[in-house]
Formats: sequence, structure tokens, C-alpha cells
Amino acid sequence: MRLRALVRKEVLLLLRDPHALAVLFIMPTLFLLLMAGAMSSYMQDKPPALRVIIEAPQDDASQFFSDALQAQLADSTLLTNSDERLARVRLPADFTDTLLDSPHQGPSLSYPAQFDKLSRQRLHSAVSIALAQSRLLAYLEDSGVVDAELSRAERLKLVQQRTQSQINEQEQLASGDLSGRANATQLSVPAWLIFGMFFVVLPMAGGFQREQQSGTLLRLRCLGLNLGTLVLSKLLPYFAINLLQFALLLSIGVYGLPLLGLPALSLPGSAVAYPLLAISVALATCSLGLLLASLARSSEQALLLGGGINILLAAIGGIMVPKSVMPAAMAQLAEISPMSWALDAFLTLLVGHGSLADIAPYCARLLLFAALCGMAGLLLFTRRVQRTQWTTHY
Amino acid sequence: MLELRNVVHNYPGTSRAALQGIDLQLQVGECLGLLGSNGAGKTTLLSLLSGVLALQQGELRWEGQPRLGLVPQQLAFYAGLKVGENLELFADLYRLRGAERRQRLQQCIDICALEDKLTRRSEQLSGGEQRRLNFAIGLLQPADLYLFDEATVGVDAASRQQLLAAVEQLTADGKAVIYTSHYLEEVERVAQRILLLHEGQVRLDLDKRQLLGDDHGLLLEWPDAAPTGLSELLAHLQLSAEVLPKGLRIAALNGQQLLAITEFVAAQDGLPNLLRFGRPSLEQLYLRLNGGRL
Repeated sequence: MRLRALVRKEVLLLLRDPHALAVLFIMPTLFLLLMAGAMSSYMQDKPPALRVIIEAPQDDASQFFSDALQAQLADSTLLTNSDERLARVRLPADFTDTLLDSPHQGPSLSYPAQFDKLSRQRLHSAVSIALAQSRLLAYLEDSGVVDAELSRAERLKLVQQRTQSQINEQEQLASGDLSGRANATQLSVPAWLIFGMFFVVLPMAGGFQREQQSGTLLRLRCLGLNLGTLVLSKLLPYFAINLLQFALLLSIGVYGLPLLGLPALSLPGSAVAYPLLAISVALATCSLGLLLASLARSSEQALLLGGGINILLAAIGGIMVPKSVMPAAMAQLAEISPMSWALDAFLTLLVGHGSLADIAPYCARLLLFAALCGMAGLLLFTRRVQRTQWTTHY
Repeated sequence: MLELRNVVHNYPGTSRAALQGIDLQLQVGECLGLLGSNGAGKTTLLSLLSGVLALQQGELRWEGQPRLGLVPQQLAFYAGLKVGENLELFADLYRLRGAERRQRLQQCIDICALEDKLTRRSEQLSGGEQRRLNFAIGLLQPADLYLFDEATVGVDAASRQQLLAAVEQLTADGKAVIYTSHYLEEVERVAQRILLLHEGQVRLDLDKRQLLGDDHGLLLEWPDAAPTGLSELLAHLQLSAEVLPKGLRIAALNGQQLLAITEFVAAQDGLPNLLRFGRPSLEQLYLRLNGGRL
């Protein structure tokens, strides 16, 4: 009866706290939508189409090079001229005559400032392959092994046949840092979901401070209320909130993002793994909340401490910046953040199509973190409750 | 129902004990007015009685299992909950059920005049209304001993009378009460016994009637100085007086003596600033006993 009453009280207080609701539901949803949208062109499964100007002399070899380059950049557009600031491939006037020279001076490339690094790498690779094919054709023609009657398209096909091999690719999926393989949806949804879940520490810690400062904790203590009941009454509502956040934000990923033209989140892998992961993260966040509630000495301190720790854990844990773009030392540092463990577990499921066994090590770490924070929190919480004083202001 | 013997309490890092050998007995149906200036030991004593502080030295005996009702100085309720929700929550925590629950809830709502406030968020109440809710939550608890600590601060005069009547009703119902307040007229009204703490020691523990006594005193003050001839009159009436800078105080006098003095005053050219005759108030006694400190 007492536990039910206290849990109901926590839920009512939470539902009437617009700031807490904003932090727990609106903030992660907005982050999720904004970041998934912002990263959608950068972190997509298919590379974006390029628009490139090619300046080439009007001869067969140059035309062949253009055809070979277009074959490499199938969805991209090669223009002969444009007023736009675009990447530019310029062939020298003596391109045909110097194809068999060694060393060889290839085409020159110029990029506008906004042309990103990945697109530069793509264009550079495509030019290198087209150039190699052009030089191979020149060599074959010079050796007299190419039928002079072949059209340009047939020559390209011939060269492609000579230069292409079947490469057998096998992907070793499952665990590890898969942020480099994830698309914007696969990265944003779990990252901001985890971030939002950890924010339960704020209302948890703040509520406890208010309870102590107002003297209600004194009343509860004088009632001889069991400490376990008191702790459970704090943990259970926020544990449930965490599970609700988990379900809601995953639903937004699955059903909401496609409405905005973004890739939908699919939930591959073990169906049991998701609830296990949700429970592990929720236990970790609630235990951290209990610890912070016991450590903070005022609502303001709880806000600063909780917010600061969350942002720090997110910054180093690959929530704000994917671990795949971090330098090795930073990526290694990320391993100390429980948010990183949770994100790795998520990516193992979403990108690596992992099983329960694949995410078990991450869940074990989260549960260990929960146990340590929980024990320390319980110890300090007990001391705080026992030290609650009858205060007099007059 | 409660007995303390030679209770001593020390806070770490302080040279003087907060309580130094307190002896106290409290009977059922008795209301004890607990007085003392800041640092006298009131809070420590209440903390020990409520179990917030552990007993370090001495004896604390209860008759049976102690059940306490608290009205602390702080507004000890959930500001984000509605008034009715707060009362229902504490009724659950006090394990009140069925008819008793309904009856106690209604009684507290009536006494504290909260009927039309039940659906309002507690944080939106005025200071006095919040104080009444705090009072109601303490009163709601079925207890044998109620501790009231500055329970009526900020409450309007009419509501205060109602709350004080509720405290009086508790003692009439056989409950024990410890009432501490800096509104000494409240203590004077509800308490049957006065305990004055000073620097951790019991300075005075007396029945209120015994303390205030039946003697009537007189206080006289003039704008400048007492008129000449007054000293001779007092000597003639065989009265001893305490000389004040601009007047005098006579602790006890009878009707004949009062008449003689008022005739003397009326015969003077100028009237006194102050002429007060009556039984001393608890506040006057308290200030005198406590060296002028509240």
C-alpha cells in the first residue's frame, strides 16, 4: 500500500513537471530527428551523386576516358561546362599523345571548398581507374591487339573485361564499433535514445533534493518507512519511464523517420535482445540517478551534476560524435562510458544483425555498472536519510 | 507515557553539549509548551523524541510503542501534488483505511478549512494555506504524541484560533502534545505545563498556573521621570517596587493599594504614558526568565 502510494506520487509529480518531460521525451526526440536529418546525406548506404565538369580535348582517347569515368560514377553527371562551382577534371591538350609516357602526367583535379572529403576520394579513385583503363587501351592499340573496327563502346567493354575481376566479399558482422557502417538512422536513433534515457537522473536527483529540503523526507523517516520501500518508490517509476522512452523512440525510428523522407529503422537480430538491452540500460541509468541523488546537496547541484555527467558521458561515448570518426586514442577513451557500451550493443543489433550472445558482454558491463552505482547509491542514500535533521529556522 | 532521564546529546565538533542532563515526564492528555531561545536545545530534544537523532546518553522510555504525529516547521508535503492528493498520500502512508480514513480526512479538512482547496496544487496555495495543509497532514496521523514546531507561522488570526482549538481537542481526547512556538500567547493558551530550555538545560519546568500565578502586578511609566512623592507612598503602603528608567513595576498588590496609587497618579499634573494592571503574560515572564531573549 505504501509502495504503491509513493510510486503513484512520483508518477504524478513527474507528469506535472514540464521540464522533466521535455528533457525525457521532447529533447531526445528532437535530437533524433534533427541529427538523423542532418547526417542523412553524409551517412547514407549509397554514396550521393556527384556533378563534375570534365574539360577534355575532342579526340578518341579523351572521349574514351570520359566514358570510362562515367562508368565509374554511374549515378553522377559529367558536364562539359557549367557556371556552378563544381569539381573539375581537366585533361591536358596532349592527353592522347602522352598516354604511354612514363612517368605519366595525369589529369588535374580541382574541388570547390564545399566538396567533402569522401566525395574527393571517390572522384580521385574513379579518375585513377578511368585513366588506367585509358592507358591500357592505348597500350593494347599500340601493340596491335585491338581490332581497329571496334566502336568506342566495344573498346570500353573490352578494357573493362580485361581489368575487372570478381572479388569475393564477406562481411564479418556482429559486435565491435560499427558506427562507421551505420547509416544516419541506425546511428541517431540509438544514440539519442540512450542519451535521453540517461537523463532520468535529473528528475530523480532533483526530486530527492526537494523531498529532503521540504521536510517530507523527515515525515517519511519518522513514519518508520522501510528504506527498501523508499528506494524502490524512486527507482520503479523511472525504470518504467526508461522502458517507455525506449519503445517510443524506437517507434519514431521505425515509423516516424520514413515520413520525413529518411531511411526507416529496421530491427534485425534477436527479438529478445532488445528488451534485455532496454532493461540493462534502464538499470544503469536508475542506479546512476540514485547515486547522484545521494551525492547532490541541492536541486541546483543535482541539475549541474546530472547534466554535466550526462553530457560528458555522451561526448566521450560516441553519442555526439561517432566513434568511427574519432582518433584512436579518443575511441579508446570512449570505452569507459556506459553510453558507449549501450550504443555498441545497439549497433551490434541494428548494423551487425547480432544475436543475444553478441550483445551479452555489453549488457554485462551495463549491469555491472548498475550494480556498482546501485550499491554506492544505496549506501549514501541510507546515510542521507539517516542524517535527515529536524530543522528549525526560528 | 514518556520519560526522559538525564539525557545528554553532543554534536560532533562542538564544545558544549546540546542537551545536558534533561529530565522530563509527559503524561497522556498533557500539553507541554517547549520554550527556549535559538540554540537552547529545542530542536535536539524534538529530534530525539521523533527518532531522528539516536539517543547517546541517558534514558528515553515510552509507554508502549510510540506513535508520533508531526507538524514540523518546514512545509513537509509535496508542492507538486494537489491538496487532496497530499492528504490521500499521507493517509496511505499512515495506513488509514475504511471509515477511520474517511472520518480523519474529513476532520482534518474541516479543522484546517481546506474543503475548497482540495483540487488546488499545493504550491499555488498562499503561505497560510500551505501552513494549514502542513498542520492537517500532521493531525491526520493517528498518534499518541503530537509534536508541533512553529505550526502556525503565517496563518491568519481566524484560522489560527481553529488550529489552536484542534490542539486543545487533542489533549482533551487524551493525546499528549509538545508545542513549541515563538508566539508565546499560543503556548500560554494550549499548554498546561511550560518547559524552558536554556543552553541545553531545563531552566524551568512548571505547571502554567503555578508559573503565571494569581498575583496581579502594576506597571507605570511617565514621559520623563516618576513624580516626587511616589516613593514615600509606596513605603507607606508597604510595597516593594522594581525601579525602571522612567517608572516602576510592582509585582503584586491588592485592591486597596491599587486604589491609593491610582488616586496619587490622578492628582498629578501630567498623566503617565503607561498604566497596566493585571496578571503577567507568559511573554513577560519568559523575557524576564530568559534574560530578555526570545
